[in-house]
Amino acid sequence: MKRRNVPKPALGGAGEAGPGGTAGRPGRLQRHLLSGEFDELRDFPIFESNFVQVTQLGEVANKVTMGVAASSPALELPDLLLLAGPSKENGHLELFGLFPLQFVQLFVHDESRWQLKVKFCTGRAFYLQLRAPSETRDREFGQWVRLLYRLHFNSAQGAVPFTQEYSAPEDDEEEEEKEEEEEEIRLEWEEHQATEARLDPLASELWGL
Amino acid sequence: MTYAYLFKYIIIGDTGVGKSCLLLQFTDKRFQPVHDLTIGVEFGARMVNIDGKQIKLQIWDTAGQESFRSITRSYYRGAAGALLVYDITRRETFNHLTSWLEDARQHSSSNMVIMLIGNKSDLESRRDVKREEGEAFAREHGLIFMETSAKTACNVEEAFINTAKEIYRKIQQGLFDVHNEANGIKIGPQQSISTPVGSSTSQRNSRDIGSNSGCC
Ligand SMILES: Nc1nc2c(ncn2[C@@H]2O[C@H](COP(=O)(O)OP(=O)(O)OP(=O)(O)O)[C@@H](O)[C@H]2O)c(=O)[nH]1
Ligand SMILES: [Mg+2]
Repeated sequence: MKRRNVPKPALGGAGEAGPGGTAGRPGRLQRHLLSGEFDELRDFPIFESNFVQVTQLGEVANKVTMGVAASSPALELPDLLLLAGPSKENGHLELFGLFPLQFVQLFVHDESRWQLKVKFCTGRAFYLQLRAPSETRDREFGQWVRLLYRLHFNSAQGAVPFTQEYSAPEDDEEEEEKEEEEEEIRLEWEEHQATEARLDPLASELWGL
Repeated sequence: MTYAYLFKYIIIGDTGVGKSCLLLQFTDKRFQPVHDLTIGVEFGARMVNIDGKQIKLQIWDTAGQESFRSITRSYYRGAAGALLVYDITRRETFNHLTSWLEDARQHSSSNMVIMLIGNKSDLESRRDVKREEGEAFAREHGLIFMETSAKTACNVEEAFINTAKEIYRKIQQGLFDVHNEANGIKIGPQQSISTPVGSSTSQRNSRDIGSNSGCC
């Protein structure tokens, strides 16, 4: 990931405007994929949420929409991670990358702050904090936690998807990466930005979240 | 931003040849000295102007490392253009071209325009593959050929834009059916009927370039 992508984005733009989705409406990422430019990803069941990238100290940086998707509806669990964010040019959501979940680990980083950790098999890692209305935030985060349990259970790694107990050996290396990332971070987050992403009820039911 | 056409590109080739750097140079005009292994597909997009038409390039930068290859291969489908990249300082990356080419031909449309790229032309002193060898390979397999440097930006614009020109030429010759999405071409959302050539709607990036001139 080396472009204006998730770990080092420094993105501007306020993101897509518009009212919060009503329940059952596809999330922003899904709508983006449905917009006609990404035929090969159009029919994937997706479970997505809006996040902000945070530093290890919890400072807020750019917006990220993260989703997990199944490349076939027959799959019992998602197999792809999708990352998107506002484009530099016009702030519209733009897909940054698609990563096979077998090469990515997701952890709950700080449950009290609704934070996840995303770690690539190449060692690169970053932290995301859920951005959702306070009434639904716990429920939405809970769905991610359940998903993480299922993904971890399914893989050969430890069955408990929490970073706090497990992250000791890798901390040094990450410290360095974070510093680098923080240089490029711009605080452009608007406090009261409406949250548009909704969980795709179909995908979440499909995967028992 | 409206556009007349959208072309899907893929960038393929061995790990470390500079695929992500080529994309970064093309979209952001930056060079990244550190190798961040790509582990799936990363996306980039940019508008170019060909013959007075705005064309959006949607670029799929794929992972070159062997362990990711079986997965990324499934996304070759529906590409109108491919940049097949090797590193002029590492002969093995040149030797692997045949297998990349087979893969690409097998998983995408037969009309796909393929641009062969010998990257890292700034490292002349470490050159391991002669320019003539690249040219010969391209001739033999019906590819376009250029040497580029993602570091100095030499020929990077040209590589992406000449590929688009060739696709556009094929569209005009009727070789590409633009309504068949398997060809990796889409018609823009609100295609304006005609944009005058050299129109001022072109962006910083929309310049027309003569063929193969340049710095390498
Ligand atoms: N000197 C020089 N170095 C380059 C050039 N292009 C890329 N590099 C370097 O080569 C290394 C690999 O570049 P990447 O673009 O990450 O390689 P890649 O083809 O995307 O590799 P994978 O993602 O693993 O498939 C990096 O250290 C770059 O800095 C170039 O034109 N000249
Ligand atoms: Mg790469």
